[in-house]
Amino acid sequence: MVDTLLDIAMMHADTLVIRAKQGDQPAQGKLVQLWYKRIYNYAYKFFLDHDLAMEVSQKTFISMCRNLPSLQDNGRFKSWLYTIAVNYCREEARKAKGNRTISFDKVWNPEAEESPQWESSRQRNENPERQLQQLELADILQEALLELSDEQREVVIMKEYEGLKFREIAEALNISENTVKSRMYYGLDGLKKILDRKNITKDTLGYEL
Amino acid sequence: MNYKPNESELMAYLYGELEGEARKKVELYLMQHDEERRALENLQRVSNLLGRVKDKEVIAPPIFIGDAKQRYFWDVPYFKTIMSIAASLLLVMMVAYFTGAQIKMSGNEFKISFGKQPEAVPVVVPEVKPTVASLTADQVQEMINSSLVTNNESLQTSFEASQQKLDASIRKSLASNSGNMDQLIREASTASQTQIREYVAGIQTENMKMVKDYFQLTATDQKKYVEALLVDFAKYLDQQRSNDLQLVQTRLNSMEKNTSVFKQETEQILSSIITSVGSPSTTKGIKN
Repeated sequence: MVDTLLDIAMMHADTLVIRAKQGDQPAQGKLVQLWYKRIYNYAYKFFLDHDLAMEVSQKTFISMCRNLPSLQDNGRFKSWLYTIAVNYCREEARKAKGNRTISFDKVWNPEAEESPQWESSRQRNENPERQLQQLELADILQEALLELSDEQREVVIMKEYEGLKFREIAEALNISENTVKSRMYYGLDGLKKILDRKNITKDTLGYEL
Repeated sequence: MNYKPNESELMAYLYGELEGEARKKVELYLMQHDEERRALENLQRVSNLLGRVKDKEVIAPPIFIGDAKQRYFWDVPYFKTIMSIAASLLLVMMVAYFTGAQIKMSGNEFKISFGKQPEAVPVVVPEVKPTVASLTADQVQEMINSSLVTNNESLQTSFEASQQKLDASIRKSLASNSGNMDQLIREASTASQTQIREYVAGIQTENMKMVKDYFQLTATDQKKYVEALLVDFAKYLDQQRSNDLQLVQTRLNSMEKNTSVFKQETEQILSSIITSVGSPSTTKGIKN
């Protein structure tokens, strides 16, 4: 239901973009509401860090509102928006590399290890074991994503989670479509190797695959 | 059948972005190549796995963009700076007008002044009429000469007058001074005879005392000194005698030693002589 509503909203996105371009502030606000979750999730998967993701999202939308009038082709709004987000992500990544301080909690946090997240279980109606498995799997997958190179990670997230077409990714990253596909291939291949190393195979996951 | 799909085509196929003929080609290839198909299936599995990660819910914070307004030409920074410079110049000029500031530059002079300048009073230079031209050189000479003569005369007279005055004053002062001096001397001679006697007597008694004291003091000092001298001398003599005795003793000892050495030597010589005298007979004896 939500997806369909979102789709309808997306359908109207073109007119929304046109209005926002003309300086219509409510339209701009709606655009932000519509795209914030997507950009946030892109950045979150890129960094696996809520604060950085929030920062990137806010910067992206401020930049979007300022630069909307310079957008030539309204049809390219989506890839244009991701271009901004990608650039801010790269900027933040560069900053993070500059100051190599890692929170001690991230390096080694025995308390967190001893008390897994399911202690604060939310949806009690679901099978708790399955829920835990799901949570752990998601964590492992996200960590595996983080092990990929920035270039491959960008492509994999855009394709797998943002549902962009290869053409759109190529537009957003300003590279050729073949390069995107090649990065996607090696990204998936790399992920497979990482997951094998982490012992997440068809056998360990059993019937779920 | 040399066809082998590249990575791009495989990806496009995997995500359903390959259409028509190309799609069929890849399908056919995968049907014939099990290994490739399995590899792609593995990638498909990874892709499916990735789908397990759900989106995080997030609420978009309000984003305020302040400067989305249309910009008029007076909002352009260049215009603003130029206007501000112009305004400040105008302000300076206004202030200058009300304070009556004046800036002047003439030649090497740079002048900034406030208020009204007092009007310059023209300096009137009296004209000197050239009268010299009508005089000849002789006339000038004459004039100089005459002026010199009059000058000399006046100097002479003034000098004489001053000399006379000086003489008179010296004489006067001498006369008065000598009178005073005579009086003073007389007073001194008459008044002081008794005083001098008293004074001399006083000095004599004082001297006597001093000399007595001096002699007493020196006598005791000398006594002490002579005593000390005598004692020192006696000590010295004793020392000297003992040293001499020691010297004599050592000499005697050395003499004794010498005589003993001499004795020994003579004994040795004697014995050597005796042996040397005795030996040839013995050798001779042996030889014989």
